[in-house]
Amino acid sequence: MSAAKRVQQWAAFARTWHIFDCKWQDPYDSANIIKKYLMGLHKPIYHPMNDCGDVVVCINSKEIALRGDEWRKRAYFHHTGYPGGASWTLAWELHNKDPTLIIKKAVYRSMKGNLQRRHTMERLFIYPGQEVPQDVMQNVTNQIRQLRLVPTRLDQIPEEVAKTYPKVMDYPEDYVLK
Amino acid sequence: MAGLVRAGFSLTRNAIFSTSVRSIATTAQLNLKAIREQTEGSTLVVEGVTVPSPRTELLIRAENVPVPAEDTALSTSEKPPCYMCALGLDVKHTDVLILSQFVRSDGCMLPRRITGLCRRQQKKIGKMVSMAQKAGLMINLTPEKCKKDPTKRREYKKFNTYFDERTIFMRKIPKPEDRFKR
Ligand SMILES: [Zn+2]
Repeated sequence: MSAAKRVQQWAAFARTWHIFDCKWQDPYDSANIIKKYLMGLHKPIYHPMNDCGDVVVCINSKEIALRGDEWRKRAYFHHTGYPGGASWTLAWELHNKDPTLIIKKAVYRSMKGNLQRRHTMERLFIYPGQEVPQDVMQNVTNQIRQLRLVPTRLDQIPEEVAKTYPKVMDYPEDYVLK
Repeated sequence: MAGLVRAGFSLTRNAIFSTSVRSIATTAQLNLKAIREQTEGSTLVVEGVTVPSPRTELLIRAENVPVPAEDTALSTSEKPPCYMCALGLDVKHTDVLILSQFVRSDGCMLPRRITGLCRRQQKKIGKMVSMAQKAGLMINLTPEKCKKDPTKRREYKKFNTYFDERTIFMRKIPKPEDRFKR
């Protein structure tokens, strides 16, 4: 085997570590992307019996964004097994308790329920803020592109830019400025 | 008698203060006005000063934008009802630099007689303004006692929320032939 072929062989079967910034991302949309990298679906050598999945590190999971009124409408169900042990937790209550749990459950539910799923989930690291342990961060070699643009707040835009921005609406002539 | 006097008083007050009456005055050209308050000793002077609009030079209108040759046939066949329809911009609720032009300094949407939009655009822009306010993207344009920082809001309001603009016109407008369908 030539040296180039050997490198190709290593690159094909090595686990790549990806980083994903969850800031202002929908967890249920981004779970479908994360799932592909976790299971190795993006590789041409993918096979269900082939252990070729990568590792994904999610940061800023505290700042995920849900759509519309989903923070108060989406409920997470849990049953203790005892009679009357059912409970429904709203998404904002769950996020208050553990800011990593919504994205974890979203990725878990996006995958098919088989014996492999628990082992695939072991390769997902979620951190609520920007701080990632050094032994995790040193392996990261790739970044997954975000699905949605992080919106810019009006007070973060400098005032000259906002003033010289092209205007669409002009006031009528007898309008009293407020 | 007292009621008559009050009615007469309110009539004169309307004649003096209401803008609609003022606008048909024949003497002076009315311009954009800013109300200024000054205290000179013990007297408070309130005056309306005409101000040139800061927006006129930056204004963009569809008739001033050069149009490619093949588009002119389309645009001349049907005249759009207002300037936003004519521009044909795809405005999202995150475009705060555009949405903040339709808003008072307290973040309240301006009425249609001032914006000059058609009904559909007024509704759409108004909904997108409230979306941007709920997402906390225009926190410098809010009432004084508003909780400006979204992370300090209560319960579900303190987390990031985004909106889908396709949900603005959800209600299906029935066509005339749908009348007999059940
Ligand atoms: Zn219009």
